[in-house]
Amino acid sequence: MAETVVPRAETLGREEQEALLSGCEAIAQACRLADVDVITAYPIRPYDTVMQAVSKLIANGELDAEYIVAESEHSQFEIVKHASAVGARVFVGSSGVGWFYAFEAITVTAGLRLPVVAMVGNRALDDPGAFGVGHSDALAVRDLGWMLVWVDTAQEAMDTALIAWRVSEDPRVLLPCALGADGAFLTHSQHLVKVPTEEQVKQFLPPYNRGDKTLHPDNPITIAPQVNEDWLMEIRKHNDEAMKRAKGVIKEVYKEFKEIFGRGDPESPFFEEYMTEDAEIVLVGMGTLAMPVKVAIRKLREQGKKVGFVRLRWFRPFPTEELQACLSRFKAVGVIDRDYSFGSPSWGGVVFNELRAALYPLQQRPHVIGFICGLGGREVTIENVIEMAGITQKAAETGRVEQDNYWIGLRG
Amino acid sequence: MSTTTVPLARIKGVRDMPVEEYFTSGHRTCQGCESALVLKLMIKAAGPRTIVLGSTGCMYVANTTYYTTPWVVPWMHTQLGSSGSAALGTAAGLKALMRKGKIKEEPLNVIAFCGDGGGADMGLSAISGALTHKHYNFLVLLYDNESYANTDIQVSGLSPWGVNTTFSPPGKAKRILHDRWKKNVAGMMAAGHPDCRYVATGCASFAVDMMNKIRKGLTIEGPAFIHTLDPCPKGWDYDPILSHELGKLAIETGVWPQYEIEDGKLRLNGITKMIAEGKRKRKPVREYLLKQGRFAHFTDDDIDFFQSKVDEMWERWLIPGVIPFAKELEEA
Amino acid sequence: MSTVSVELVYRGIFQRTLARNICRGIVFAARKENKVGIAFGRYGDSPERNGIPAKQFAIVADTDEELQASMALYEPTEVDVTIALDDSLCKGVESWAWYGLQPINKLTKKDGTLLITSLLSPEELLKHIHRKEVPYNIALVKGAASFSGLWVFKDDHTDVRVLGALVKVCPQLVSLEAMEKMIREQWKDELKVTSARTSYERVQIRRVEPGEGNPEEPYRFELPKWQEMEEGIIVRGIPQGGGFHGGEGGYQPGRNPYFKKFTTRTMRPVIDFEKCTKCTLCWLQCPDTCFDVTPDGFYDANMEACCGCGVCEAVCPVPDCIVMVNEAAFDSNESQYEMWQRDKEGYRTWVAEKISLAKSERRSHGFQYRGQYEEELAAMRKEA
Repeated sequence: MAETVVPRAETLGREEQEALLSGCEAIAQACRLADVDVITAYPIRPYDTVMQAVSKLIANGELDAEYIVAESEHSQFEIVKHASAVGARVFVGSSGVGWFYAFEAITVTAGLRLPVVAMVGNRALDDPGAFGVGHSDALAVRDLGWMLVWVDTAQEAMDTALIAWRVSEDPRVLLPCALGADGAFLTHSQHLVKVPTEEQVKQFLPPYNRGDKTLHPDNPITIAPQVNEDWLMEIRKHNDEAMKRAKGVIKEVYKEFKEIFGRGDPESPFFEEYMTEDAEIVLVGMGTLAMPVKVAIRKLREQGKKVGFVRLRWFRPFPTEELQACLSRFKAVGVIDRDYSFGSPSWGGVVFNELRAALYPLQQRPHVIGFICGLGGREVTIENVIEMAGITQKAAETGRVEQDNYWIGLRG
Repeated sequence: MSTTTVPLARIKGVRDMPVEEYFTSGHRTCQGCESALVLKLMIKAAGPRTIVLGSTGCMYVANTTYYTTPWVVPWMHTQLGSSGSAALGTAAGLKALMRKGKIKEEPLNVIAFCGDGGGADMGLSAISGALTHKHYNFLVLLYDNESYANTDIQVSGLSPWGVNTTFSPPGKAKRILHDRWKKNVAGMMAAGHPDCRYVATGCASFAVDMMNKIRKGLTIEGPAFIHTLDPCPKGWDYDPILSHELGKLAIETGVWPQYEIEDGKLRLNGITKMIAEGKRKRKPVREYLLKQGRFAHFTDDDIDFFQSKVDEMWERWLIPGVIPFAKELEEA
Repeated sequence: MSTVSVELVYRGIFQRTLARNICRGIVFAARKENKVGIAFGRYGDSPERNGIPAKQFAIVADTDEELQASMALYEPTEVDVTIALDDSLCKGVESWAWYGLQPINKLTKKDGTLLITSLLSPEELLKHIHRKEVPYNIALVKGAASFSGLWVFKDDHTDVRVLGALVKVCPQLVSLEAMEKMIREQWKDELKVTSARTSYERVQIRRVEPGEGNPEEPYRFELPKWQEMEEGIIVRGIPQGGGFHGGEGGYQPGRNPYFKKFTTRTMRPVIDFEKCTKCTLCWLQCPDTCFDVTPDGFYDANMEACCGCGVCEAVCPVPDCIVMVNEAAFDSNESQYEMWQRDKEGYRTWVAEKISLAKSERRSHGFQYRGQYEEELAAMRKEA
């Protein structure tokens, strides 16, 4: 009878090993390492290869979790929300309009202070349907109390997933966290990844414990009674304070991560700086567009142009002070948005407007220019980056912003 | 290894009733609200080792009105269409935690309740999905007051034909705005999910029968679904003192059949059984309809039509109230 | 240049259409004297529940700016007239949890008026109406509370009788002529105009001095600050029940500390323990879990929880063992079982007296069968 058993994934886990993993497969390994208890799956490209990887781990007994294929994203996110309420560590994910279909569940998860960790395989929003990357799906949750972090390599995806559980489940935080992982460029391309051991992760990630917030007959509580105007502000204030505390916890956690795994930058957990020390102008962006940006910057450096790059990881909590400190000394900053925000201030993208607002209080602040680029999976090319750097450079030299926002790589 | 369920013996009669209350005062339901009675009896039957999930609806808003609660047992809100997922997620979470030794291994009841709108309309797909997961133990209880009552009475998929609601007012040009017949949800769940071992209908006017069905739904391993009909003084527009009587009348007129399906075996209960066996005649639906202000606009033709549809359910359906088609398809 | 604000306090759903007719009537009448006005329900009361107290407001002003000054508030801080459409609301208003017991005349202005539809005398009502520091008036529109439901409205003219009385007690609101003109236009029914005028002439007004009324300090709750509230939108469950009245035997459920039902009921069950066969049905079928189980197996309705639905009377198999009696006929919420234990003879007469009162003044609580309201209205017209 033909061998129908799914081939075992590379046997990992004893000592730190290197493996060739896509971003999704890396995050699936993170689920194994974090001993996740409940995972819900539903198909939508490009995130769902993480669930394909998870199902192999389940089938081969490498991951002991309740693995449920739901009948919709709405149910997917509701199931893990309730599993988290009884104290189970959970993982879930979606993309594009699938993520939107779960939005009712996503909205209430933050208010309920349930540390659900979700992967968003960033994908353009319909209509028309488009598989390619776009950040508008994950960004849509930015006001609701979810932490939001973007990664640009499979390694960082795995590491940040472990960090996400640790930060989310910290009693001072207890907020859900979404991992922005660019469709295709990250979710599907396979990178060399160092996979830590279960012992290392056990040392880094304590068990999830809701204490007297746990939903269990031994702890009779009522969660989320209906409220009227007398109560909601007080309840939402809890979320506001939790998000503020999250910044400090993130710093602590990156420090510990470095000590245990030897990776990560505790000095600057919120964003990565590339060649900014002597830069005159800087580009800012999130996710896998970092690759073409860095390559373009190296080219420009060869031509003597002093361009730097800030790759933003944590979008929520937004690192306002840290970005102010980092960017105030530059004459001009170009923000690359892989999203859009129709009718927004200066018609700019989400990151552009938030960054420009964050810099506003500074006495000395750079000019800020917005670039909409790489929507629907369109490649951010090296030429695009060079064009964007040029526009930003011109603003720095002339001290004037001709146009607040450009659509780069657009035909016509 | 599926967690065995909480042992709950059959309640022999009203004098064999547990005295403890786990759903007590502090809720702001209407005078005579039968749905509140269903919840009180549900948790009295289930006992303290129970987690209850409640989807948006009267039994959420009216019960936990403004930062308070009537619940003695742990209770958590869930979204309007999420009772299936809430039950599944809670059961899955507990199962994983127990298997991995993260919490004490013990049988616990998981009950998710929803209204007719939450269960038969918005949440139908989540409940259907949940009922296919036979290695989790939970009960989904659909309390049916035949309207979106918490938003001041609008038509739902389980509202009776012709009913007056704020979405289907009888007007000069159109007397009957809601001309859909009530969905047959319990029949749908039983027929649609062969692996779901227990489906039943109930009514709080027959407390012992309903409580035993809840106990059976909880003790049987795997998901269970119960649909109760709850007279609603506000939406049905009647003097609350009639709440109990109207529950009985719904069954005596054959409008609401009481039955349970356990491991594929159907049993009709109480008055429904006697009607089916010819031991008792169905009362005319007029007796039931005209005690409710929501049908005050009915003409005799409307009443006759309503009666004809109930007659059809009893005379032509393969199984009255359960399977809505006849054996001889050509004859139809 | 003056603003007149009126609040209507009523039994949710039972009197919603009635309250709405009155509020809109006030604004339309004011319009006849080209004043401007607004009518609105208190959003926190919605969705209304049968019997739970609710409020609607009508505010009339000479100019838009004046009206806006009132519209800018979520609720008026004081009113010229409080209209209580059910006299059992004189015991106070608890609309929802944490709200505490609010005296019926809490918002009534100095020298304002508390207008009540009731068959009781001012003196009887003042046993329940809480004391106030400033003088005000009580005005009575003779009649039992008018109840019907969401779909079928019992037009017993209570709306126009209240409007007629309102013009008398609050002349600065609008003249009788304007009110009658409005009624004629809105309802096109001369009988209703007559009812309004008769009510205008017959309304009984009684001055109330500070210090008159119920001295009881109504219970209230301090809303916690956000730092004092548990995170995760969590409130602790109700504690497990224990013995009857804290004793060993029997059973009394734990109860919600922040939401009492003292004012939710329009009537309460009077229980004749000597007829009771302990069949359990009242206890079992009560939707509000209000019966405490006594050590010797009786069922004692706890007035902290009863909302007066009458289901216990309906299911009780023994005639007159449980009889619903108008709430205004009671001055205390004491346990009937303890009253019986203390003085069985006295209790027997107390029960008989309450039952005869209930039988003499059978109050309707909404729709029971098609044609019922027509019969009741015909009976009322014969009496009048």
